[in-house]
Amino acid sequence: MSLDQLKPKQSLDQLPTFEVFVQPNESRNFQHEGIVHAPNNEMAFIFAKEQFSRRNTCSGIWTVSTANVYVSETTDDKMSIYDNVHPSESSGEENYSVFHLVRRGKQHMFACNVKATSYQEAIGVVKLSFDLTKPVLNVWLIKESDIFKSSENDQVIWNTLPEKQFREAIAYKGSEMIKKFKKEQSSNQNE
Amino acid sequence: MNNVAFKDLLYKIADDQLILGHRNSEWIGLGPLLEEDIAFASMAQDKIGQCQAFYQLLNDMGETDPDSLAFFRHANQFHCCQFVELPIGDYGFSLMRHFLFDAAEYLRFDMLASASFEPIRNLAIKFRGESRYHTMHADVWIKELGSNTDDSVSRMQLALDNAMPYALGIFEESRFEEILITDNIYEGEVVLRERWIESIDHILKKTQLIIPDLAASSPKFGGRYGQHTEHLQPLLDEMSEVINIDPSAKW
Repeated sequence: MSLDQLKPKQSLDQLPTFEVFVQPNESRNFQHEGIVHAPNNEMAFIFAKEQFSRRNTCSGIWTVSTANVYVSETTDDKMSIYDNVHPSESSGEENYSVFHLVRRGKQHMFACNVKATSYQEAIGVVKLSFDLTKPVLNVWLIKESDIFKSSENDQVIWNTLPEKQFREAIAYKGSEMIKKFKKEQSSNQNE
Repeated sequence: MNNVAFKDLLYKIADDQLILGHRNSEWIGLGPLLEEDIAFASMAQDKIGQCQAFYQLLNDMGETDPDSLAFFRHANQFHCCQFVELPIGDYGFSLMRHFLFDAAEYLRFDMLASASFEPIRNLAIKFRGESRYHTMHADVWIKELGSNTDDSVSRMQLALDNAMPYALGIFEESRFEEILITDNIYEGEVVLRERWIESIDHILKKTQLIIPDLAASSPKFGGRYGQHTEHLQPLLDEMSEVINIDPSAKW
């Protein structure tokens, strides 16, 4: 084989990723659940719905391009990100959505919106405005305008979710059937 | 309320869902993208779930049980339109069928959500919600592929042209059309078709796809009264293969 037959490796035809946040019901906050691959926010939403709200309950989904999520460093458990943050006044009108990770192994959860002119300023505004008693291990900041949010009208798509027993393996009573069959088999053998 | 007329309506809704749900489930494991494979399979499952509810309502009204309705009828006893029994084809065709069929189904549920008979009104309201997601999903894909590359546009145009005569078969009028309308069950296939045309046009306008001339399209009727393509019986045979090994087995 000659060297001029070598070609550069083809770049993977992967779609960009979108982060997905789910609100299980209206009394709880949006929580990060994972990602989907999609060409845009609209398609990310329709994928996210069946990836991350196939069971249980759901009242809302947010999607945002991974490239629009700004991530802080991660502290160890005793310290909080905010320990080294100076409080700042807001100098702007743009909404920044703030997500906190308070325990390792858990997911980021929506904390608040603040007005600011930059991601850096936003984190300072949070420090100024909120009572941060629990240590925050990691912060995500996203411009609210970058987030694609399901509407209230969309909530009907999840109305029947709790009734969809056919989506639960347990509803097919597989192990009950097997036990019953084994019992019948062994009583047949005993005869 | 005229029970014979009403059951006629229930049969066609439920049979459409059983057959299309099964057809769409044939894509499991073969979808173009993992997330899409999951979404398409979920919606197929929804259709079967809805079908089961409609078969149960038929059972409550004196027809046989849902399993028997699903697995023990011959093709000429099925009331699905011919559109839903067609093979899945390529993904573009299946997406186009999903778009055209689910648009009509949403509008049908929307009409039935005001039906004078409570059991169907309740089912329609519930399933209209599920259907909202199904149409959302279809609309996003049609807008995406219908205006993306020359390849995707030409393939979706071909799918639309091939699908249209069959899609028009959804609106084959019932023998009991007048009774269902005067009984305030729903507004009938003619009005449904008009709303459907508006609805699909609203989305197709946002693409480079051209809606075929409906006046020149010959609708594929017959499915509502047992006249089917050569595809339905083999599909039913496959669906009932396991239950036919031992029809009396308890699952």
